[in-house]
Amino acid sequence: MKWQAENTTLPFRRVVRFWKRYRRNHAAVLGLFIFVAICVVAVAAPWITWYSPLKTDVGRPLISPTADHPFGTDDLGRDVYSDVIHSTRTSLSVGLVAAAVSTLIGIFVGALSGYYGGKIDDFLMRTTEIFLTLPRFILALIIVYVFGTSISNIVFTIAIVSWPSTARLLRAEFLTNKEREYVEAARTLGCSPREIMFSEILPNAIFPVVVNSSLEVATAILTEAGLSFLGVGDPNVPSWGLMLNNAQSFLRIAWWMAAFPGIMLFLTCMSLNLVGDGLNDYFNPRLRER
Amino acid sequence: MNPIVKLVARRTMQAIPLLFVTITINFIIIKSAPGDPTHVLLGETANEEFIQAMRAKFGLDKPLYVQYITYVSRVVQGDLGYSLLKSQSVTSLILGRFPATVLLVSTSMFIAILLGILLGVAASKRPYSLIDNLASGISVFGVSTPTFWFGQMLLIVFAIYLGLFPVAGMTTAKAELTGLEYLLDVVHHLALPASALAAFHLGFVTRLTRASMLEVLGQDFIVTAYSKGLNDRTVTYKHALRNALLPVTTYTGVSFAMLFAGAVLIETVFSWPGMGRLLYDSLRMRDYPVVLGIFVFISLIVTISNILVDVIYGVLDPRIRT
Repeated sequence: MKWQAENTTLPFRRVVRFWKRYRRNHAAVLGLFIFVAICVVAVAAPWITWYSPLKTDVGRPLISPTADHPFGTDDLGRDVYSDVIHSTRTSLSVGLVAAAVSTLIGIFVGALSGYYGGKIDDFLMRTTEIFLTLPRFILALIIVYVFGTSISNIVFTIAIVSWPSTARLLRAEFLTNKEREYVEAARTLGCSPREIMFSEILPNAIFPVVVNSSLEVATAILTEAGLSFLGVGDPNVPSWGLMLNNAQSFLRIAWWMAAFPGIMLFLTCMSLNLVGDGLNDYFNPRLRER
Repeated sequence: MNPIVKLVARRTMQAIPLLFVTITINFIIIKSAPGDPTHVLLGETANEEFIQAMRAKFGLDKPLYVQYITYVSRVVQGDLGYSLLKSQSVTSLILGRFPATVLLVSTSMFIAILLGILLGVAASKRPYSLIDNLASGISVFGVSTPTFWFGQMLLIVFAIYLGLFPVAGMTTAKAELTGLEYLLDVVHHLALPASALAAFHLGFVTRLTRASMLEVLGQDFIVTAYSKGLNDRTVTYKHALRNALLPVTTYTGVSFAMLFAGAVLIETVFSWPGMGRLLYDSLRMRDYPVVLGIFVFISLIVTISNILVDVIYGVLDPRIRT
């Protein structure tokens, strides 16, 4: 008779378990739903728009929403609706990639710093302190301004200014976990530091980082929008921030130029925030259920 | 020696290397920029002799470490260079615009903290009630709304369509108001920008206060306070809130930096004559020295305010005065 500790559950069962608990927070479910919808919109962009976003003069300029142009047109006759939909792609990719890169760097730095301590920790923490004291947005602004406004530059810059907070978070978790018995056990068994860091401690330390990352996506999207709004974004790429920049001169006569891109921005960020809250609730058994 | 004085001294000592690092980073960024500053000034087609003369004048032909030392000594003395487009030193330009930004930022912070604490406390006293859900809703909205878009929406609704507030600027131009009338005029202009800027922080502070208060209210000493016969108001504000405010204080320090960033965006939307708008204009006009000067300035301000917050935190919480 074989007896095996079943410590690996089928992926499907895990998803179901996750969902049952996540579902308790209704707002988080709504957030997830909205976010998925936005992702679908981004992917389906070419199929649900009938004008090219960059093509000027497809309609009379500055007309308010009509059937043919659901969101109206802007000052150059571009269809606002197509622009908004195609910008979804930009924002989502910037947000997700920037957050992913910054999380990876942050995990790496935080793990090394938390596990080894000593001089490495000191040096790395000094570095993060510099980044954390300078205002993130302004630092990103300067870097993009000086080094160029291409979209890849922007993604890279956002990642650079965002990784320190992830690193700090993970380092704190590592410091807590480092003294626990299971780490000592792993060390006794002869695990290498790399194995201990990434196979033993990391799976337990990762939870706050997951929550933080979902909020990082929202921040990255907002940062890109802010940069584009100030004119230091990529001018060749459709972006909500760029649309809002354009709309600024026409607020009096064309409210739709500002309203719709902003609503999409708002919905994206709100859904991500709700998801982040939901994940937070999921990972911390709170006393909310009183 | 008085522990608070010790705390201030120690934080200041720690801050000086940080300030130097900030200035150094700025120098590195300036130097890493592709292109030669003289080209920015003279254009591509200037003749070679003139370019060399300019380079000598700006000290660009000296070795890097000499340039660095010159730069640092200049910044420390308050010389941030000269604007390319306006005939003024960068420092005087910035200092001229600084008060307007400070007004905007401090008003926003005040609104956000005051309302945030009130909402958070009210929400924490009656969990899951209408007021709690309202506060949570407001906080989610506040945190998710892009600041500049919210400003634009406020502008459209309240200034353009309803005509209740002015559309731009800090004062009514050509109105020559003095004294109280001037003050009221400024307040009238300040209302929308400050509200837009405060939105995010209002949301955050509400949520933070609520969470913190819930934690504190669950502790034993609150039960003791009630059993002593103290009325609800005293317990909430004098005993619970005092302890719950610590995370809010930390956040206030952090938010100061974010408020400056937000101010850049809001000042652009509302044409508010502050440092942020100066930054936007200089970015557009490629007034290089001003852009970098503002960066240094804001970094220094933020570093100083972080020290202040640390000190205040030390005053409020004796436990961390180590």
